[in-house]
Amino acid sequence: MKNLKKYILSAAVLVAFMSCSSEDDNPVANSVTLEFNNTFGDTPIILGDATSSSATVNTSDAGQVHHFQEVKYVVSNIRLIKADGTEIPYNVNDLDNGATVVNQSNPETLSYVLSDIPVGDYSEIKFGLGVRSDLNTLDQVSFPDFYDNAGANDTQMHWEWGTGYRFTKIEGFYDTDNKELSFHSGSTLEGEEGNYTQGVDAYRDITLTLPTTAVVGNSAPTISIKADFDYLLSGDSYTVTLVSTEDITNNATPSAHTATEMMKFVDNIGGDSNTTSPGMFSIISIEN
Amino acid sequence: MKKIASVLSMIVLIMSCSNDDNYEPTTFENPELDLNIPADFPLLNSSFYDNIPTTYGVELGEKLFTEKRFSIDNSVSCSSCHIQTSAFADHNSLAIGVEGRVGLRNTPPLQNLAFMNFYNWDGSKLQLENQPLVPIITHEEMDSSILEVIGKIENDPEYEDLFEKAYGDEDVTADRIYNSIAQYEYTLISANSKYDRIQRNEGETYTTDEAQGALIFEQKCASCHSTALFTDQSFRNIGFPINPNTEEAGRARVTGDIEDYMSFRVPTLRNIEHTAPYGSFGQFETLRAVLDYFDNGVIASDNLDPILKDNNNRIPLTEEEKTNLIAFLTTLSDNEFLGLEY
Repeated sequence: MKNLKKYILSAAVLVAFMSCSSEDDNPVANSVTLEFNNTFGDTPIILGDATSSSATVNTSDAGQVHHFQEVKYVVSNIRLIKADGTEIPYNVNDLDNGATVVNQSNPETLSYVLSDIPVGDYSEIKFGLGVRSDLNTLDQVSFPDFYDNAGANDTQMHWEWGTGYRFTKIEGFYDTDNKELSFHSGSTLEGEEGNYTQGVDAYRDITLTLPTTAVVGNSAPTISIKADFDYLLSGDSYTVTLVSTEDITNNATPSAHTATEMMKFVDNIGGDSNTTSPGMFSIISIEN
Repeated sequence: MKKIASVLSMIVLIMSCSNDDNYEPTTFENPELDLNIPADFPLLNSSFYDNIPTTYGVELGEKLFTEKRFSIDNSVSCSSCHIQTSAFADHNSLAIGVEGRVGLRNTPPLQNLAFMNFYNWDGSKLQLENQPLVPIITHEEMDSSILEVIGKIENDPEYEDLFEKAYGDEDVTADRIYNSIAQYEYTLISANSKYDRIQRNEGETYTTDEAQGALIFEQKCASCHSTALFTDQSFRNIGFPINPNTEEAGRARVTGDIEDYMSFRVPTLRNIEHTAPYGSFGQFETLRAVLDYFDNGVIASDNLDPILKDNNNRIPLTEEEKTNLIAFLTTLSDNEFLGLEY
């Protein structure tokens, strides 16, 4: 029965594709490209090792200089909202076709093409930073492509002990003596789906209003999104001072791989889960 | 356009037919195991009832438990670290995986898991079925993936036979693997130590030292090491030396709660004689070293367990008390469970 459903579904998808291509003059759908610009403020991030002279250096509100060697994050659960309020979900339950790892060191990953978006005027975009809890199970059987992509040696976005994905992975250096900084986030929820009895949810739902309408039709718009990593240490939720001491109550250790420290950074870049803050994300421009 | 659609739907129909043809529901005999549940043990984990051990499910689970093809280089199985004679733990301070990679923590013993509500040192998992994937994919353990494992074993006639017997067909699926291993682990029940036989009035008696140790245990240990499992399954920071690995935060790793920082689940003491070294990263070589540490005083911290705080951060013990306590603790050894002479 399951297989039967799959066949029907794929047949329907095929039919849908075919019907599109046969009506080029008056398209019913077109693609939308999301372009991710990882910055410190308005300056694009250039990665570098500890002693790099080319890496983009940022100064936090607490006065700590820092730069990054690695910047990666997962974007999933993408939804485009039309001016009339209609929400167009983009493969939101299919990590293979609806989720991606943005990796600053791999330019290809900085653009993500949403194909077959219905014609219309779009005024808002929503997406998840990380993976929604119901899909965050490292289910290789259901989503082998995303699993492999996220788990690749140069990506390392599996969070093994939590059997979920890493939502963000940032490696870098701070202070003038270039001490190591390492920040990983992921969810640790356990229990019945929808009725979790322990753990933290590091997934953040981001809502961005588009400054101008993205028109899908004959045009295939590009939505340029800024991810301002200045927010990591200097966010709306916390001003973080990195301290290399065992006293973890004294702000944040520079190596946050566990839920204790992690959530400060998560709230800074993804917004406090209780508010609608988009954290570090904003829209730069829409090109139709 | 319509034509294409109808052709496609015909293909779909044909495919579904042939699919149905292959599916021959066969009746199969795979009775539930009659587990001997000790009368004084706590309630079973509710997940047990969704995955009740069966004759062939357990046989399959045991075979999978010893399957080295679970690891990337076919060198490590579950039983490489979970060794029966050590109550399904081992004697390394930290777990060792493929290529000699060193893990974060001490391998926990596997016993009476069916009665536990939290698994792992930090309680990161609440049901056994969710645990097997962790070592399979962890870099420092087996460093493989579930599809790789399935690919390696699915055409093995022995497995085809066992999956058929356990589940009615020979499909090797991820869930069947997880469930079978959990079923096997549910059967690892240790309840036949000298302590148990004395509790059951089967004619054995404590030596003088053991009896003295039992009294001290009641006074100084049993508030945490309670119930027939010898753990109340709470998470406590007891001021043990701290794992230098920055990945470690104890229970707080899971909850994000600073109050849980460096708290660990109270470990069971069953078969403790056979599970050295002790502590979350094997800090202590011997039981005596653990007791000496408690006696000398533990590391102070804001969230140190209140019982220790109320006692000047220590559990005072005389040398004689330590000797007697250890004598009592050895009565928790279950040689039948350990596969030793008894």
